[in-house]
Amino acid sequence: MWPAARSLAIIALLAAPAAWAQPEAKILRVTFQAAETGFDPARVHDYYSSMIIEAIYDTLLTYDYLARPAKLVPNAAAMPEVSADGRTYIFRIRRGIYFADDPAFKGRKRELTAQDFAYSIRRFYDPKNRSPYAFLFTGKIVGLDELAARAKKSGRFEYDTPVAGLQTPDPYTLVIRLNQPDVNFGYVLAFPLTAGVAREVIEAYGDESPSHPVGSGPFLLKRYVRSSKIVLARNPSYRGKIWDFDPGDNARFKQIAERMQGKRLPAIDGVEISIMEETQSRWLAFQRAETDIEYQLWEVAPTYMTDDGRLKPEFVRRGIQLDRTVDPEVIYLFYNMQDKVGDAPNPVGGFSKERIALRRAIAMSYNIDDQIRIIRKGQAVRAQYPIPPGVGGYDPQYTSLIPYDPRAANALLDRYGYKKGSDGYRRQPNGEPLVIRYTSTPTERDRQFDELTKRSLDSIGIHMEIQKERFPEYLKAQKQCRVMMGHQAWIADYPDGDNFMQLLYGPNIHESNNACYDSPEFNRRYERSRQLHPGPERERLYHEMTRLMETETAWLLTDSRVRNSLQQPWVVGFTKHPVMHDEWLYIDLEPKPAY
Amino acid sequence: MLAYTLRRLWQFVPTLAGVILLVFFLFNWVGGDPAYLLAGKISSPEMIANIRRQLGVDEPYAVQLWIFVKQVLSGDFGASWSTNERVAEIFATRLGPSLTVLVPLLVISTLLGMAAAMLVAYVRGSLTDRAVMVACTMGQSISILVYILVFQYVFAYQLGWFPVQGWGVAFMDNLLRYSVLAIIVGVAVSLAPDIRLYRTFFLDEINQDYVRTARAKGMSETRVMWVHVLRNAAIPIVTNVLLQLPGLLAGAFLIERFFGIPGIGREVILAVERSDFPIIKAVTVYVAIATMMVNLLADLLYKAIDPRVQLK
Repeated sequence: MWPAARSLAIIALLAAPAAWAQPEAKILRVTFQAAETGFDPARVHDYYSSMIIEAIYDTLLTYDYLARPAKLVPNAAAMPEVSADGRTYIFRIRRGIYFADDPAFKGRKRELTAQDFAYSIRRFYDPKNRSPYAFLFTGKIVGLDELAARAKKSGRFEYDTPVAGLQTPDPYTLVIRLNQPDVNFGYVLAFPLTAGVAREVIEAYGDESPSHPVGSGPFLLKRYVRSSKIVLARNPSYRGKIWDFDPGDNARFKQIAERMQGKRLPAIDGVEISIMEETQSRWLAFQRAETDIEYQLWEVAPTYMTDDGRLKPEFVRRGIQLDRTVDPEVIYLFYNMQDKVGDAPNPVGGFSKERIALRRAIAMSYNIDDQIRIIRKGQAVRAQYPIPPGVGGYDPQYTSLIPYDPRAANALLDRYGYKKGSDGYRRQPNGEPLVIRYTSTPTERDRQFDELTKRSLDSIGIHMEIQKERFPEYLKAQKQCRVMMGHQAWIADYPDGDNFMQLLYGPNIHESNNACYDSPEFNRRYERSRQLHPGPERERLYHEMTRLMETETAWLLTDSRVRNSLQQPWVVGFTKHPVMHDEWLYIDLEPKPAY
Repeated sequence: MLAYTLRRLWQFVPTLAGVILLVFFLFNWVGGDPAYLLAGKISSPEMIANIRRQLGVDEPYAVQLWIFVKQVLSGDFGASWSTNERVAEIFATRLGPSLTVLVPLLVISTLLGMAAAMLVAYVRGSLTDRAVMVACTMGQSISILVYILVFQYVFAYQLGWFPVQGWGVAFMDNLLRYSVLAIIVGVAVSLAPDIRLYRTFFLDEINQDYVRTARAKGMSETRVMWVHVLRNAAIPIVTNVLLQLPGLLAGAFLIERFFGIPGIGREVILAVERSDFPIIKAVTVYVAIATMMVNLLADLLYKAIDPRVQLK
């Protein structure tokens, strides 16, 4: 009896330290400031859902974590072999990549293959999915648009009908043939929503597929309470990666590399995401160390940052880290360039000298510094070029032709016959009243834009009316060229200037060209730029196009917002990538101090 | 009573028809076209048309209205346009969190409000009465947003008694950990108007002849107040409490947003932001039906509380 008890005691003593030494699971806690909509790559369009999709699925290509501007690297496939005419892409899928286990696989390990990517691409063309990112592929792949057209008529998409543009000669080879060369096609295949999904999973879950994501990426969905909590766990089937990135000369990146180099990824065990719409809740939760990273706290930035963009000393003392990057976006004030808005004459549209002068004068009266200081609370940088920092084609040397100069703006209007009436407001050169209708949405932030724009136009004696539209109606009005003047933001889908320049391309009216700008000179240059790889020739065209847009004043570029990501002291390796939606694969968590 | 109940149920029909028409026309005229939201950043007119066709919003208004009526009759409002989740599933999963907060909130605020109102009504005109009334007026004039911000800052951040926000899996964890601060805020907000309202109910009863008679017969004050006055004042109080419930379910969105509670109120706001008509339709119809049912229940309860009440 006694020896047995003694043996048990010894075993217990030996086992106990092992239990005590059990490390705490590394769970990263973050927040989203808006609710997700689901995790089916072909069916979602919001940024937050894409973050989860990026963590769960594998794309063919991805980005180097530290390279700036963003650089494509292999992921599920090696870098593609591209034909001399730029129309054929051959992807070699890596062997041994497996999906996370799921009942849809009926107990078998399921390898990721070229057919999964071909199926995923076809899903963007299926009208039933009404994919918001169908534009990434529409008109590009040989034969697929015809399939989509047939599906619209028959109501059923033919997933098994062979098409010349999308072939899988073996499970590890994907051949894509394009209608036209597209130098940006590689970026499309690094976009998280183009990830590979398994057909049997999509078919097993049907309409419920947005809440049953099954991927081959680093994490899997462990728990999901819609619009409230998303818990990801490390995917045991994930092949793993080694942290190995070149930090270049960037001092912060060097620090990151020193601490992360050689670590096996993912280094964390999971991610817990809470949906917190309210800034106060997010800010207090971060300060209470209930969360590890806060991606954006614009409204309270003056609370934790100095005017020169640094953390206040009390936060530095607590070890809080700040990662400050400019979002790959541009915000701009646009004018409707058409002669008519609906059936009514458009006083700001057209290409006559008077109309150009009017648009230029409005642009010169708009105080961008006030927008950055008051509306952005200092957390934005002036945008000079239609392509923002971090995106291929960005030119930091470029300076806009349009200065802030209300006096010169007034003189310009006087010169072109916009005389002031007895009410103090200007009239059109033909003597008719001049009323600019500015459209915005009924939000607190847009109310600030309303006031700033009204003040600007008042300063040059132009009568402005504000038209409020709910967001869907605002989008509709833009696409139908019914917005006379408004503000708009565009964030990069892929890190190339083409994604921004297409916003001004004439044939994109009713799609993404909300100024309804149709300049033959601009269009000709844009079409030429689409044939060119990034380089001096394309840069020159982009310069010319930008100058042309400024001369005709279709837009006034205002700013790009600065993203201030706050991290707790125990977060290691985080920096906001300009294009990737999340960085959870590349970071680590150190043990938290005991309070 | 059965005849009365059946008659009232029959009266639901025109009311519900009015609600259906109102919701339908409001959504179609001011709700915005959901296709433009769902189509994403770059969309062609063909894509928009395809989405409109799938959602059925390209049908003539009469057809759309008939579909809506059929949905109300069948109780099947289809799926959310933005997340594809079944509307019934949304209600099934969001109702629990909402009730976890709202039921304790209503019970506590009602009991506290009744006790305080009875006390101040009993000592009406005294310094205590006036002080409580002034405090209630002040409390009522402060926005719920201020209560949330201050309570969250003080009790969650400064004192660390509660998490700032969150929601777990286990019911008891949610009730005793995540809901407590939200309940405290809700009680603080509703206490002031409840006390003022209930005080008037108690004052009405205290001045009745039967109270004077009870006192003249030598009945103790405790018995007069707790048995006779409370019983008679309970009728309007019950009405008030029951009528609050349906509105609170959809209207507690501020509390749910700030405290991260995945309830119905938060879902309604999301649906409005996304022009998600199936959810808006369902919520409006459910709240209307719940309000009518609660009204009926309150009337039936009058009879149970006070047998003198005649239902006609």
